[in-house]
Amino acid sequence: MTAPTASEVAIGDSVTPFSRTVTQEQINAYADASGDHNPIHVDPDFARSVGLPGTIAHGLLEMGILAEAVAAWAGGNANLLSLSCRFSKPLLPGDTIICTGTVVSVDDAGTATLEVVASSDRGDRVLTNGRATVRLSR
Amino acid sequence: MPDQSHVGRRYSAPGQRIASEAARAMARAIAGDDPVRDGDAVPPTFAAVYCLGPTLAQLFADPEVGIDLAGLIHGEQSFEWPAAVHPGDVIDATAEITGIDTKRGMTFVRLAMEAIRPADQAVVCRATSLMIVRAPA
Repeated sequence: MTAPTASEVAIGDSVTPFSRTVTQEQINAYADASGDHNPIHVDPDFARSVGLPGTIAHGLLEMGILAEAVAAWAGGNANLLSLSCRFSKPLLPGDTIICTGTVVSVDDAGTATLEVVASSDRGDRVLTNGRATVRLSR
Repeated sequence: MPDQSHVGRRYSAPGQRIASEAARAMARAIAGDDPVRDGDAVPPTFAAVYCLGPTLAQLFADPEVGIDLAGLIHGEQSFEWPAAVHPGDVIDATAEITGIDTKRGMTFVRLAMEAIRPADQAVVCRATSLMIVRAPA
């Protein structure tokens, strides 16, 4: 897939939809890679003891997948300038996260601003109020 | 419990070295069963390791603030990446508590972080975090 250039991108364009099923193994790997070993992510009994249905994915793992989705559309990690979101609902092991985005502005320097969101295949909006800016090639 | 008197507290984590194996491990963790797409790059959210992790660890261990980790929720996060980070870079990270509000039994702790590469004085990441501390049940 070739990244769109600034002249090819218009307000209302969509980011190529991007989904990934998140497994407990992946959550464990993220705990090791990030150093965040909070038991709500890796210990089902502990997670249930604090009122969760079971372990939940790290918000920053979900945000990492959203970053990858936007960066892939924009032609690589180096073109992702900013990303922000709210962690609204938990993502559970076995859920598929679905990342989407829409271009809301493109400036003269070739920087596009997008509204981005991530949902789960069970219908929860897990990452909301998402905003990303990307550098487009000229 | 955190309160207004803690606004302005700063945490400093200098000398965070970007290890290529650690960056690759995060790229693999984000990719899961899929292939890693941008294998030579440090994933943008590796800022969790060189910026958030080492400063938040100090906040969470700060006995004056007294955050109860069992009731902690990561509410919101923003990142800006003004310059790319590369394996081998050494990064100085700082964080500051910028706001604390309490409503409906929950305490909202806002932080701003900055990560600088001293070798060229480049800001490589600016971040804000909202941490929500639930009152003990």
